[in-house]
Amino acid sequence: MLKKIIIGALLSVNLMAVASEEVNVYSYRQPFLVKPLFDQFTEQSGIKVNVVFAKKGMAERLAGEGKYSTADVLLTTDISRLIELRDRDLVQVVNSDILANAIPEQFQAKDNTWFALTTRARNIYSAKRLGNIDFNYEDLADEKYKGRLCMRSGKHPYTVALVSSMISEHGKEYTLQWLQKLKANLARKPQGGDRSQVQAIHQNLCDVSLGNSYYFGKMLQDEKQKAWADAVNINFPNQKNRGTHVNISGVAMAKYAPNTKNAQALMEYLVSKPAQELYAQTNMEYPVRKDVEISPLVASWGEFKADTLALEDIAKNRKAAIMLLDQAKFDL
Amino acid sequence: MIALNNSKTWTFFSFLIALVLIVPVLVMLVGGVNASTELFSHLWQTVLPTYLKNTLFLGCLVVVLSLFFGVSSAAIITYTNIVFKKQLRWLLMLPLAMPAYLIAYIYTDLFDYAGPVQRSLRAWFNWQSPNDYWFFDIRTLPGAAVMLALVLFPYIYMLTRGAFEQQDQNLIRASRTLGFSLRQSFFRVALPLARPAIAVAASLVLMETLADFATVQYFSVNTLTTAIYDTWLGYGDLAAANALASVLMLLILFVVLAEQKSRAGLRHQSTRPSFTRELIQLSITQQLFASILCWSLVILGFLLPFVLLISMALEYSTAAQLTVLLETGVNSIKIAVIAATITVILALFFGLYQRLHQHKYRAIPQQLSGLGYAVPGTVLAMALLSTFGPIDHWLNSLLEQFGLPEPGLILSGTLFAIIFAFVVRFSAVANGTIVSGIKQIPHSLDYAPATLGAGLKRTLFKVHLPLLTPAIMVAWLLVFVEAMKELPAVLLLRPFNFETLSSQIYQLISDEMLEQGALGAILIVVFGLLPIVLLNTKKETS
Amino acid sequence: MSSLLSIKQLSVVLQNSTILSKLDLSLAQGEILGLVGASGCGKTTLLNTIAGFLKPSQGVIDIDGNIIVDESRYLAAEKRHIGVIFQDYALFPHLTVKANVAFGISHLPKTEQNQRIEQLLAILKLSELSESHIHQLSGGQQQRVAIARALAPQPKLLLLDEPFSNIDARLRNELMLEIRQLLKQVNTTAIFVTHNKDEVFTFADKMAVMAEGKLLQFDSPATICQQPNSYQVADFLQLGSWLPCQLSNNEVKTLLGVLPYNNEQSLLGEGEHKYSLLVKPSQLNLQSDSVKVNAQVEYVSVTEQGYHYHFSSLVDGDLSFTKLSLYSEEVLELKQQVELSINSHTPLVYGIG
Repeated sequence: MLKKIIIGALLSVNLMAVASEEVNVYSYRQPFLVKPLFDQFTEQSGIKVNVVFAKKGMAERLAGEGKYSTADVLLTTDISRLIELRDRDLVQVVNSDILANAIPEQFQAKDNTWFALTTRARNIYSAKRLGNIDFNYEDLADEKYKGRLCMRSGKHPYTVALVSSMISEHGKEYTLQWLQKLKANLARKPQGGDRSQVQAIHQNLCDVSLGNSYYFGKMLQDEKQKAWADAVNINFPNQKNRGTHVNISGVAMAKYAPNTKNAQALMEYLVSKPAQELYAQTNMEYPVRKDVEISPLVASWGEFKADTLALEDIAKNRKAAIMLLDQAKFDL
Repeated sequence: MIALNNSKTWTFFSFLIALVLIVPVLVMLVGGVNASTELFSHLWQTVLPTYLKNTLFLGCLVVVLSLFFGVSSAAIITYTNIVFKKQLRWLLMLPLAMPAYLIAYIYTDLFDYAGPVQRSLRAWFNWQSPNDYWFFDIRTLPGAAVMLALVLFPYIYMLTRGAFEQQDQNLIRASRTLGFSLRQSFFRVALPLARPAIAVAASLVLMETLADFATVQYFSVNTLTTAIYDTWLGYGDLAAANALASVLMLLILFVVLAEQKSRAGLRHQSTRPSFTRELIQLSITQQLFASILCWSLVILGFLLPFVLLISMALEYSTAAQLTVLLETGVNSIKIAVIAATITVILALFFGLYQRLHQHKYRAIPQQLSGLGYAVPGTVLAMALLSTFGPIDHWLNSLLEQFGLPEPGLILSGTLFAIIFAFVVRFSAVANGTIVSGIKQIPHSLDYAPATLGAGLKRTLFKVHLPLLTPAIMVAWLLVFVEAMKELPAVLLLRPFNFETLSSQIYQLISDEMLEQGALGAILIVVFGLLPIVLLNTKKETS
Repeated sequence: MSSLLSIKQLSVVLQNSTILSKLDLSLAQGEILGLVGASGCGKTTLLNTIAGFLKPSQGVIDIDGNIIVDESRYLAAEKRHIGVIFQDYALFPHLTVKANVAFGISHLPKTEQNQRIEQLLAILKLSELSESHIHQLSGGQQQRVAIARALAPQPKLLLLDEPFSNIDARLRNELMLEIRQLLKQVNTTAIFVTHNKDEVFTFADKMAVMAEGKLLQFDSPATICQQPNSYQVADFLQLGSWLPCQLSNNEVKTLLGVLPYNNEQSLLGEGEHKYSLLVKPSQLNLQSDSVKVNAQVEYVSVTEQGYHYHFSSLVDGDLSFTKLSLYSEEVLELKQQVELSINSHTPLVYGIG
């Protein structure tokens, strides 16, 4: 009896995964962000989208599954994860004119192994009471912010990526000192997400924090969180020099994808105008397509100059960045 | 002891299954051996000492707090005349149903700067900024320890209370005739006698603490678990992560073995024990303090968070959530039922093998199968990925050689992996209950049926299994609830489109949106209450 | 002589049922009392009340001139200086033999503690086991540890609850004598509960018979057996068989003959209409070849003292008997009819209804 149940359960799951006209996605992106996109894709193409939402361990799982993996499309929230997947030989080349033409050159891999879908700036949020300030990331180390800086964990990919870009710009020694000063300025131990830092400014726990651009929009749209966002200015740092640090969310095709055609269709859909518009309008991200309007709200924050540092370089410095974060005992 | 059975098949399968169950542990150990020393020395020079210190500190703090909560409440309930004793007796078990990550989230929400408590304090006293007043920070190591202790202390409470209730009261009387008051006798006799039970419970609490990852992560308390994550996900060094996990496991094993050794031979058996107990009469002040302690535990560990969950659910729940909830709820129940059933069957298989077989090493399979409890869920999931992957590949190429269609990832890509992880992780839970059930069957019953001409099979099905029914039920429910709450293995191993209540709630919590999942959280808690209610009614009627 | 223990009008009521009612008892220093009675008669309750585990509803208990219980006072068990030996000994399994014995004297200076412990362990032949744990000991050894533990604080009174019931019959007698000697040596007053009257003869100086919460008789064991003061006492102690009888002027008339009777002296018990004569087997004579048969064999068994027979009377009526016990070397068949007669002795006549 029990045996039957187990076999039944195993089979049902397995069959589900191998049936035709489907595409299987491993996603680091949260369900509420991508679900509307998948629904629209299914509606247009008739291809069913199966998803595993992961917070961690996607690469391990793909590696373990090897050639029997049923994953087709991999969605990540930053560049480093994409590069990790490529470096571990878990993705395949996708030669698609649609992808190549839609995405600006610096936002796709030269070898066509990964593609950016959206970009997001790493902003400095500052308390409105401080007035308008022309920030650089470097300024956060300034002593005048002692006890007034709030940040999320140093180990979070967004922080790691920023630290990587600092290494590229200034070298390890400077970056370590910068991190140590940052740590000394912290109002509290690194904790929470990007939004809770803004909340902390609203509560006068601190004056400055770091956060991704789209969270600002998201908070303005949320009844409860609007007050938090209203308490801060969103600043695009380093406008007088290298530009604001930018990261991407991206996509790649799994090396052993069983449904390559559907996978490519999904990837191409994700850079299509309607999909990019959805990204822009509902998620407040910067669409990677140049010919898609950003949301009016995001537009109201103004144009900004983005750091032109190659995304691959950010990924390259990732390990060094984590080591520096450990060395500075940033999270402790 | 004369053993009854000499079946080679039984021996073969007992050892085989036990070995299969510890394969992931072995994979982890072997993986750890290959770790690079370079990363270790970097970690050692930077953050590892703090992580270790935090781990030990957290472990000690949780155990000490849980001991204080659990032993004192058990003592108050059994040995004093506290008012509302009958109600408190079972209310004190309820926090067990509350997952630690849930209570951590709820209390952070409540006590944070932005939470209602501090908000009303500020409004009340007209404070403007955090500099105007001091308020404890819950997102700290002591905060995490309190959260964990609040939901883990019932382990200690239940086992200690059980021990107290089983104590021969003549021992207390003997102590009194030797010049010690009831109170003194409690400390000199009742408490030391309960030590074995307390030690078992404390080691359970310690294991749960060291295996926790969601709570400490949410509270940004960096422990050895953080180090395991960092090495694995940050540095991308699975081998080093395995090595760290092995260290953690050996640490736990050491504690467990030390505990077992310390209580060898501590048994008092009386043929005519007396259970009429004289109760310590509390003065009014003492009555007040005892009541405050017990009710605080009940309220903080269960009632308050549960009420908050319900109010969240009332405010935020929508019909759409209900349909999603139904699906994830069914998933949760499905895997929990399968896992609990298999775990209990295996526990019976090993337990009865140990009892009835005459093999020299008959205790080994059961002991081996319990090892998995000492492995944190995440580590176990990682180990399973690197175990089942290769096996799947081997299976596929084998079938391919015979010209059969390749089945794909029948182990690592399906529910099999999750259920296997649950069985490995919770075998110890089922073993404990089943073994104590088996111990209550008099040895004479092992032989009696044989003298009546009944074979082993009939002996098992007509004598042992019926007698074990209560133990089987309890074990099944305990595993079921643990499986409902389990998180890391589900997160890492689930197949496509597969969400459970716990994975869904955890995602919402990490996005700071528990409100949306309050209904699901209530469901987990309510399922967690089932065994507690059942255990309680069973005790009352027996 | 002033008594060490004196109990007056002691009553215990538990859950609305009277377990002890208005009990009086007193014991002199150094006396050992054996308390017997059927199960549920209140023996253990009496011990528990004296020890301080139960609160009496009324009465006074006085030990060595100090009142420990009366209407206004209730001294806690730990302050009574009474040693107790429990039926299962209640030794502390988490402590060694030595630590068990030391338990009650931990307030004394170390040297004195050790001295007492060593002395007691030596007397009780436990010296070599002093570091052992309780579960490593035999039943007899455990009992000796319990005695050492109870005696270490030098209690004024020692209570023993069926202390010999778990001991091998073969060792029991020897052990009882040993312990009796020890108690006499330290001049400790003791009360022990048993349901075996033979133990009382071996172990005790005084005997008390209880039934339904009352003390029926309290005297030396020999006196009680020779002169049981009531039907219940004699019946419980199984001192002989019951032969219905009629009383008339200076005579006791039974089916087996007539005995002289002094009205003042030997009518015992409360009955007024029906009487029974207590007949011990040795007071009966058996003649198997007589023609004047008056009884027949109803039951035969073989014992150490020869064949054991039960006889019933051949005629029905007020004086008929059904179960007269007799030992004899002679071989009789079931239903064989014989003549029984009574030796001349001072009769013990009890009113039974």
